[in-house]
Amino acid sequence: MKFVVNSVKSGGCRLGVMSDFGLHGKKIVETPMCMLYTRRGSAPHLTADMLKKIQWLPPMAQMSVTNMIEHHEAIEAYKQGIGKFANMKDYIVYTALHDPATEVMSGQNDTATVGVWSKSGKVRLDVEMFVKVQEAFKPDMYQALSDGDTDLKAGKKRTNKSVTRTLTYLDDILERLPKSQVLKDAAIFGVIEGGNSEFERCRSARETASRDVAGFVIEGFHNQGPQTELFKISDIRDIFKTTLECLPEEKPRLMHGAFPPDQVLEALELGLDVFDSSYPYHVTERGGALVFDFVHIADPEDMDGNKAVQKGWEIDLNDKKYFEDFGPLIEDCSCYTCKNFSRAYINHLRNTSELLGSVLLMIHNFQHYFNYFEAIRRALAEDKYEQLKTHITKQKKYIRLLTLTFILSQTVYVAVQTESGLRQWP
Amino acid sequence: MASKGTHALSLRILAECKTTKARTCKLHLPHYVVDTPVFMPVGTQGTLKGLVPEQLEELDCKIMLGNTYHLGNRPGHELLKKAGGLHNFMKWNRCLLTDSGGFQMVSLLKLAEITEEGVKFQSPHDDSEMMLTPEMSIQIQNAIGADIIMQLDDVVHSCVTGPRVEEAMYRTIRWLDRCLKAHQRPHDQNIFPIVQGGLYPELRKKCVQELIKREVPGYAIGGLSGGESKDDFWRMVTLSTEYLPKDKPRYLMGVGFAVDLVVCVALGCDMFDCVFPTRTARFGNALVPTGNLSLKNKKYAKDFSPIDDQCPCSTCKQYTRAYLHTIVTNETVSCQLLSVHNVAYQLTLMTGIQQSIVEDRFPQLIQDFFDKQFPDTDYPQWAVDALASVNVNIKKS
Repeated sequence: MKFVVNSVKSGGCRLGVMSDFGLHGKKIVETPMCMLYTRRGSAPHLTADMLKKIQWLPPMAQMSVTNMIEHHEAIEAYKQGIGKFANMKDYIVYTALHDPATEVMSGQNDTATVGVWSKSGKVRLDVEMFVKVQEAFKPDMYQALSDGDTDLKAGKKRTNKSVTRTLTYLDDILERLPKSQVLKDAAIFGVIEGGNSEFERCRSARETASRDVAGFVIEGFHNQGPQTELFKISDIRDIFKTTLECLPEEKPRLMHGAFPPDQVLEALELGLDVFDSSYPYHVTERGGALVFDFVHIADPEDMDGNKAVQKGWEIDLNDKKYFEDFGPLIEDCSCYTCKNFSRAYINHLRNTSELLGSVLLMIHNFQHYFNYFEAIRRALAEDKYEQLKTHITKQKKYIRLLTLTFILSQTVYVAVQTESGLRQWP
Repeated sequence: MASKGTHALSLRILAECKTTKARTCKLHLPHYVVDTPVFMPVGTQGTLKGLVPEQLEELDCKIMLGNTYHLGNRPGHELLKKAGGLHNFMKWNRCLLTDSGGFQMVSLLKLAEITEEGVKFQSPHDDSEMMLTPEMSIQIQNAIGADIIMQLDDVVHSCVTGPRVEEAMYRTIRWLDRCLKAHQRPHDQNIFPIVQGGLYPELRKKCVQELIKREVPGYAIGGLSGGESKDDFWRMVTLSTEYLPKDKPRYLMGVGFAVDLVVCVALGCDMFDCVFPTRTARFGNALVPTGNLSLKNKKYAKDFSPIDDQCPCSTCKQYTRAYLHTIVTNETVSCQLLSVHNVAYQLTLMTGIQQSIVEDRFPQLIQDFFDKQFPDTDYPQWAVDALASVNVNIKKS
């Protein structure tokens, strides 16, 4: 895999291009980029046919070792890799170690192995097994085995261990790789650990950078899963910045987890290039539809733009207020869901726990989020990033207000519910 | 007799089987033209197992079901009216059929009580007592706006015997008259009465005789497929079709296993519905000409062939059994992929039957079908008897 940073824009955001992938040599990926999040190789809730209905789909899909480890023998027998196995052959495949949407259990790793949980129980993954699994999966890019079992509160000893172990795993993998014909063209990403310790972060970054890796995964700030949505990049800004300064400019940096719109921008400014789309997945799972605006950025006095900032990041389709709302999720949205279905219908599907609710929300949320990344790239290229950022920040301020109103309204809601009479049928 | 043009339906018989009672027809309905014999998948709450209407159109599905009881509860008929009917609400432009809601009340709600006025039941949301009358059922179905709607019938479990069955049969006829009177949209919605009478031939016969005196566009055969013996089942079916007029469609309610479909087409039924194909999909089962594949089974872990290499559905064109094995019952995608396949299986079976009737080789299709389903020739005796009654003797080759 080749990576070129074409320019560093305002605030530190990098515009780059990834190319020359193993199995997908001809594909080109522009960064900043958000990979397609998958579960067991499929986009959540979406068959291949439905996935095709989404515009601005990224050319790269993220799959995780944890999801599929129990099937590695079948995939090995299949011989054509996990992408084709999952009917995703057109996608550049990146295999992460863990599923970014699921919290990783603490205390599962030891000197020689990383404990990963599959449906059939705990699997101890040592370097030999790890390489074997990757040889079966045949990814274009993959995350090296790592001990990322730290968060911001992790102690000195744990942090030190996670860095040392991760480096040892990497050395063992790199030693094993020349014997692997299959992984010859796959790009390995070294993993930067170090919890909240600047010393350990820099040690991890410098040591990893000195090895033959194609890019870097920044890990060990949190344990992945839905809570990462609440993670604030601002809390780690300094240490993050120092860490990235220890890394060479010409290699891509990737971080797993859910990034709300404002957090994407903060991470970009610190020099991150690749994200995953677990955020729109979490929003879908709770019945939300992304509605934040990145279209009306041109004129701060633009009426539509001012209206747009008053919606927040998402709307809640479980909410009774959409019961009779026959409009689309977003007026003028070009996604398949908005073109065909109403808020009222999706509200009904949520109310009745029908699968189609998740399908329609996933389509909308993926398209909205991928389109946001497209808008970011465009804004950077056209030097309009600051306007985009101002517009997003405005919406963030409005969300704080919304949250407050929500807490108040819940109190009122409970009061009204107790007062209200019984429902009539039909 | 009904004169042409009084109903929102017309039936044109394309061909009749020279051996059995099977026929293939063009059924013209307000939203689409349906080829019969037809299997109708069930989209209970205005959606079918995570599929969008476009996916059903790609499968060439022309008519599907909605359940009045569920839709009346959520989102309710007032909202559906505001939405411009269920078609518009769920964006399905082809035909819909709704049941009356009565069957669900009796089967889902333990406390339902039937009086002359209607079905009294306890609300599933609170403990209040509610009543579904024939008038209310039609009012809701008028709001839903399906191409075909059902009368409210007095549903008796098919194993009940004695005077209750007779009472239910006569009440069903009285309720039909109330439904016909309450029906506000006869110009664009077709109401079907339901043949009842339990497992008593003379009651069934009497019921049909009463129903055909009324001005209706088609007929449903009800009160079957509820646990009665298959021997009783087929005899009641064939008796009902014997007395029903040939120029109107016959809908056999709640029947959809492949064997039952083949036999009941031979007995003269035109329309079928069943939740089985989509329900079984959720549990990882795929329907194939030889029966069904339980994709959870480890033996498919390294099976890189499609579910059925003859199947034209998008699942079979793109996915292997091995991959489906990794996601069945884990990822919702598997439910949709198997639903697509299972609906395709049912529809392909029916188009095959239609074609064979046109070409007058339906008896041969029956033989081939049974050979594949029962390679050990352990044909169920009821099916052998039912088919023999319409002059098809399946041979143990």
